[in-house]
Amino acid sequence: MNSLIDAKPAHDASAVIDTRGLEKRFGRVRALDGLDLSVSAGEVHGFLGPNGAGKSTTIRVLLGLARASGGSATVFGRNPWDDAVELHKRIAYVPGDVNLWPNLSGGEAIDLISRLRGGADDKSAYAKRKARLIEVFQFDPSKRGRAYSKGNRQKVALIAAFASPAELFILDEPTSGLDPLMEAVFNREIRRASADGATVLLSSHILSEVEQLCDRVSIIRAGRTVDSGTLAELRHLTRTEISFAQDTLTDADLARIPGSHDLSLAGGRIRFTVDSHQVAAVLPALAELDVQGLTVAPPSLEDLFLRHYGDKLDDAVAGEAEARTPRRRAARAAAQQR
Amino acid sequence: MSRLGVLLRHRVRRDRLQLIIWILGIGLLALFSTSSIQDTFGDSASRATVLRLAVANPSILLLRGTPDGAGLNAFVFFEIFTFLALLAGLMNTFLAVRHTRAEEEFGRAELVGSTPAARTSPTVATVVYGVLVNLVLGLVVALGFTVGTKDAAGSFVVGLATAGAGIAFLGVGLLSAQFMRTSRGANGLAAAVVTAAYVFRGIGDALGTPWSDRLHVTPAWWSWLSPIGWGQRTQAYGANTLLPLLLDGALAAASIAIVFVLQAHRDSGASLLPGRAGRATARRTLSGSLGLAWRLQWPTIVGWCVGGALFGLLAGVLSKAISEAVGVDAALQRTVANLLPGGHGTLAQIFISAIFVMVGVIAAACAIQVVMRMRQEEVTGTAELILATPVSRLRWLLDYFAVGVVAIVLVLASGAVASGFSSVATGESAARIGDSFEAAAAQLPAALVYLAVLALVFGILPAWTIGLGWAFLGIGTFFGVFGGLIGLPEWVRNISPFTHSPVPIGTSTDWSGGVWMLGIAIVAGILASVAVRRRELGTA
Repeated sequence: MNSLIDAKPAHDASAVIDTRGLEKRFGRVRALDGLDLSVSAGEVHGFLGPNGAGKSTTIRVLLGLARASGGSATVFGRNPWDDAVELHKRIAYVPGDVNLWPNLSGGEAIDLISRLRGGADDKSAYAKRKARLIEVFQFDPSKRGRAYSKGNRQKVALIAAFASPAELFILDEPTSGLDPLMEAVFNREIRRASADGATVLLSSHILSEVEQLCDRVSIIRAGRTVDSGTLAELRHLTRTEISFAQDTLTDADLARIPGSHDLSLAGGRIRFTVDSHQVAAVLPALAELDVQGLTVAPPSLEDLFLRHYGDKLDDAVAGEAEARTPRRRAARAAAQQR
Repeated sequence: MSRLGVLLRHRVRRDRLQLIIWILGIGLLALFSTSSIQDTFGDSASRATVLRLAVANPSILLLRGTPDGAGLNAFVFFEIFTFLALLAGLMNTFLAVRHTRAEEEFGRAELVGSTPAARTSPTVATVVYGVLVNLVLGLVVALGFTVGTKDAAGSFVVGLATAGAGIAFLGVGLLSAQFMRTSRGANGLAAAVVTAAYVFRGIGDALGTPWSDRLHVTPAWWSWLSPIGWGQRTQAYGANTLLPLLLDGALAAASIAIVFVLQAHRDSGASLLPGRAGRATARRTLSGSLGLAWRLQWPTIVGWCVGGALFGLLAGVLSKAISEAVGVDAALQRTVANLLPGGHGTLAQIFISAIFVMVGVIAAACAIQVVMRMRQEEVTGTAELILATPVSRLRWLLDYFAVGVVAIVLVLASGAVASGFSSVATGESAARIGDSFEAAAAQLPAALVYLAVLALVFGILPAWTIGLGWAFLGIGTFFGVFGGLIGLPEWVRNISPFTHSPVPIGTSTDWSGGVWMLGIAIVAGILASVAVRRRELGTA
């Protein structure tokens, strides 16, 4: 499904980013609670998690803007807090919520950041890259800070990131506020950077973006890694949905399908799920039943996401129910136990 | 009505601490200056001497106002009112911009504007709120003066005059918020108008016609162009007429009417003067965190330099007039000599040194604003953009230190240059240039202490940077500059760095206080470097 994954062997190099049991406490709040994250050289790594899971905190630790309270974190094998300056020479960063200086134009801000990173030392090459990026992102560099919309402020950080070469891109929800056309431009720039050998850590909520770009994914929740691997590996753990027309099939017929879960009938179609590694085992049974209009849908990243966030969703719903009727909450708890 | 109530409560809730400080500060100033003037100029003969000196030297009238006889309370009004009105003006323009343009600029106005409160209710609420605040201010000022002067009627006239000027400037602030796109721009425009009002009445007062008794002056027409001048014409503690205050009401009403017309025709967030476009590429100077710190701070530094130069000009122009007028009057000579501890030099030297303490305060204010900018960069998230590049926290801090030191030197130098050359232009000897630079140099250590100590606060208690910065400056100025006049005990006055600034008069100047402060500044600077290196970058 994703040729990028096959093209890159998993073992190829030492980790560019490596955190083991990373902890970050703010007073009594544990923002990170034993987070493991490993990103190999050259890979585009998706970093997923619900709001408040600790994605931005992790990124701030990786940039040496915040200090870990426990565990270890290394970037290019070095401590990001102690060696921030050296590391930042190799890193490009895009924050999720870009603020600009009110009296500086967007073009000036791009130049400033590029010069600080040393990417503007080769003037003509930098000017060429910057001009190309301003063109593809359709950006007006002469407005002043506060006159930009959110998407346009985001473009300032993106252009500054891509205008200088970097070995590692750390991107914190970089496309928030961008229109779909600009998201496509962003995807192209990431592929270009990746083709040049850069490593990318991409924190995102936009699952299609992650599916298109990322070789591997880490999903975190409440400051902890709950799942990590290639998309193929993660999908493996999730059930595939199968559906077909009901026609004249009886319950007895359906009972002959092995390993089916969540069987349901709606709009004249039978639906059920099977564990992804058992799909092949199900197919002969379906052939025997001569089912019509068969569809087999691999789990989407959304399913993956919901599987990991799902019980949180249930908690939230339960909490709401508790406020209204205790009885409903009890019923829900019983249902969960089942 | 209830919607207006919600908006009003919201404004009180947001401003409560800030306004308490402003109003109590102005009220206490009224109280303390009254008592200090009574102590210093207790008998009517000395007041008459000072007034004749002032009438003979229009530059004093420019700074103070027009005298209205040698009566004690009228003398107090002459000495202090224009300054109170200036403060009330700044308080009101900031208030107006804070609740209108700033809200639009940061998008909060849209949140409120999308409710049934719509676009106009917030402005209506700001007007009502502003008027109420000014009435409270007037009451506090009136009470402060009543305690000091025991003349309730006159004191309430002063209170109303202060409130009237405040309400007029409230209108000015609301109007300038319509013109400018950013709150910074609107604050700048409004503060410039307030300053112009102060200068206009200064010119009018200086060009005024002295009476034959040399104790009264009738201002020229310029003063009638200024809300502060209108307040002076109430002649509090004398004629006590409230008629000129109608002009305040008229100006406020006209401004507010224009505001509502403009607001009815423009989009939320838009302004009469459009925001200017910037450069598409950065100048070569904007290539590091030092260049950025300078770029962000230089307009402010230029503003403080103008302030320093104005005080320098005052010192230069007045020093000759003072030595001439005071030279013959032994009692007055003692009064002036009391302005400074251990003053044994010529009167001109004493005067220059005394004025340069104020230049030192201005330099310190400029320095702490540099540190506060660092904090603002941290809070708004722009510091993160810089510190995610190969710029260390230490380097970042040192760049701001460099800008702060340069700012202090520039402010002091502009004061010294203005003082030295203006006194030579009035016919004083060239030695005044040297005196001026020496007096300026004496203020350097105290300003450096402010820079370094506030940087240390920024390193240890970042959230307190801005509040403590202004508090330190206010306390230091009050204890150090006015502490002697109002008779505070010595240990209290010693809290202020300005108390320890060397007083370069005569041949044997004691520089030890300056050396000590230099040492403190260096130690605080090193500790600040360690603290900033060790601490994390905060978020909002």
